[in-house]
Amino acid sequence: MSQTLNPAAFMNNPDTHSGVTNAKLGVWLFLASEIMLFATLFTSYIVLRMGATSWPWGWDVLNVPLATLNTVILISSSVTIVMAYAKAYDKNKSGFQGWMAATLALSFGFLVVKAFEYGAEFKLGIGPHTSVFYAIYFTMTGLHGIHILGGIAVNGGLLYMSSVKEHWENPLFLGRVEGAGLYWHFVDIVWIFLFPALYLL
Amino acid sequence: MSNNKDARRDEHRPDVGLYVKVFAALMVLTMITVAISKFHLPRPQAIALGLFVAVIKASLVGALFMHLWGENKLIHRTLFIVAGGAAILILPLIDCVMISHRITSPADVASQHPHEGGHAATHEEK
Repeated sequence: MSQTLNPAAFMNNPDTHSGVTNAKLGVWLFLASEIMLFATLFTSYIVLRMGATSWPWGWDVLNVPLATLNTVILISSSVTIVMAYAKAYDKNKSGFQGWMAATLALSFGFLVVKAFEYGAEFKLGIGPHTSVFYAIYFTMTGLHGIHILGGIAVNGGLLYMSSVKEHWENPLFLGRVEGAGLYWHFVDIVWIFLFPALYLL
Repeated sequence: MSNNKDARRDEHRPDVGLYVKVFAALMVLTMITVAISKFHLPRPQAIALGLFVAVIKASLVGALFMHLWGENKLIHRTLFIVAGGAAILILPLIDCVMISHRITSPADVASQHPHEGGHAATHEEK
């Protein structure tokens, strides 16, 4: 049997001659596609805003205090996941699990706050159909929310895997945590731009 | 096995003290962003300032949390290509919108057709 057809042999393939693991390069290429996705959405936002005869202030039509709270939550979760990485690096399992659980709690907190925000808007009959502003607002924040859900699934999976000895002791586990962290920081960066663009400016 | 060794070489040594400092900086910058919007500056200045702060925040997260500072050159090159692609995608479109915005704005129409404007004013004076 050819070695290239053996998945185990493929996983243990010698170095990539680049100094970057295949997994990390894969995560960065995925993030590159995500950057293009959000770049198109931000372009749509700019085009719609510049073409509109009037554009509302975020303070007048959106709940800025709740969005500020969500910004604080998301930045905090970026710190907790990088702390989880630090603990995984030190092979401190309980520390890793504690920080990763904190990341998950903050992620759910973000979604709960967002649900309150959406709920208040829906109660007033406001939806994507209301205006161009709300259409782009719901599209961008909704897609970002879906990315949060994806992050919760990955981070939850890693938290579970850390409780299984075979996974925790796998030399590739730290790389997986780093990959999940890269994705989560990217989601944070998207919000860093969404927050002023939609709510403040 | 070699990939495992590669993974070990590729890992970034965490710096907890640095992470805490970056967290504090991000919080301060978030408060500055909110404060800028409270001042009710003219929109172009408010947007420029707000985006400037957002770029600083994103750079801090990218450079220090995502370890792009000191990352392998292959990753830097990949991101450079993506940034170029995004610029090719966005800039011409924004330029088109700005041109059409200028062409259709009342001030521009008046300056492009001074006779029509002057004519109208003459009629109004009468």
